Amino acid sequence: MKVFRTIALTAVCLVLGIMMAWQFRSVKLNQVLAQYEKKNINEIIDELLLVKKNNEDMKERLQELQREVDAFKDGETSIRDKLDALQKEILIARIKAGLETVKGPGLIITIEPGTVKNVEDRHIEEILNELKASDVQAISVNDERIVAMSEIRNAGDYIMINGNQLVPPYTIKAIGQADNMERSLKLLGGVLEKFELYGFNVTLKKEEVIVIPAVRDDGTVIRIDKLTPVQ
Amino acid sequence: MNKGHKGMMFVIFLLFGILITLQFRGIILSEPDEGATARQLAAELEAARQENQKLIEQLEQLEAERAQLWKDLGDNLNNQQVNKLLKERDYENFRAGLTAVKGSGIVITMEDAPARGELDVMEYIIHDNDINNILDELKANGAQAISINGERVMFSTKPVCAGPTIIVNNNRYPPPYVIKAIGDPDVLYNAIESMAQVALMRLADIRINVVKQDEIVINKYNIYTPLEQSLEGLEVVLK
Repeated sequence: MKVFRTIALTAVCLVLGIMMAWQFRSVKLNQVLAQYEKKNINEIIDELLLVKKNNEDMKERLQELQREVDAFKDGETSIRDKLDALQKEILIARIKAGLETVKGPGLIITIEPGTVKNVEDRHIEEILNELKASDVQAISVNDERIVAMSEIRNAGDYIMINGNQLVPPYTIKAIGQADNMERSLKLLGGVLEKFELYGFNVTLKKEEVIVIPAVRDDGTVIRIDKLTPVQ
Repeated sequence: MNKGHKGMMFVIFLLFGILITLQFRGIILSEPDEGATARQLAAELEAARQENQKLIEQLEQLEAERAQLWKDLGDNLNNQQVNKLLKERDYENFRAGLTAVKGSGIVITMEDAPARGELDVMEYIIHDNDINNILDELKANGAQAISINGERVMFSTKPVCAGPTIIVNNNRYPPPYVIKAIGDPDVLYNAIESMAQVALMRLADIRINVVKQDEIVINKYNIYTPLEQSLEGLEVVLK
């Protein structure tokens, strides 16, 4: 009888041990799964917000276009109006291409090399990338307008942009939301923190009116000789 | 049976009971709740995406209609001034990236490593930085038009990493990332193939395929926001 009891007790304890281990594992697993799920949900929410915002913008754009087309078809618009509309479209294209001098509120960043390191192409690129990520409207470096295909590269101790040699200090002008741009540059572990380690002397200045010159229009910066338009 | 044994049995069965309850509760609680939210959100996202597709179609239709109206006007009216401006408009849209273009160049296809090895996980995935550096290299080597997963690269285009995907021009794309560039195919090909960063990525088993092609078509930049918004805070300085 005593043997039986011992065996029974052993069996019960064994089962209990297995269950506890199982419970422990499943709790840990659930935690990991919950983390994944949460990450997943966050990603879905992020994308949902993005798509919804895009849809709202597109609806507005649709209305804008519809008004334009309706007015056109009504025949109410005179030739004069049509010429104006064309001129406006041309201007918008030229602004987007960087072919117009523009002004507006924004941020001016100056970077001077320190004793530790020289300012190189990739440093300028890092700044520009931060600006681009915060809805910038126009950028220039030492008054060299940044356009879609602007290259930034080292040339000895200097930097070449749009085929022109630039010398320090580098002055980067950006029209857009100055606060957003400043925030993304000043992020912890961000660009400016790194530049401090390099010994660069960086200053930021918010301005109400910044003038950013047009890119030079002689076919050497905006090149299209290898492109054919597709209709 | 003595008292000690009984007490022990009591404790053991009490634990048993608690464990079973916990386990059940864990199973019952954890699943439906989170799952339901995720499913609901996913459904909402799907609906938003479908709406997005519809809006794109509507916009394209309307743009085509407008283009036709202008074309007809140009053909019928035969007004010199209008025709001159129409030509100028086409030229400026072409230069601005607002027209689709074709030409010879290279196509780069990038995909994360198929499996992780002994390096840090981050080494096996493509980052926005990698793509940005490739863009800069292409620009420095005379690329005249570039697109990433069909999104035309404009002056302010910067791919941003978002989890395992990238956001380009406010649209999200999963891998593979396809970069098309029109320019001198040999120059572009050699530039990308000789990048140290590309070699490093390949060491981590990230798949990067570069091909020269005779005819590449690159999409136009799509204006999907009202014009006023896209030019907010900007004023033209007339000379």
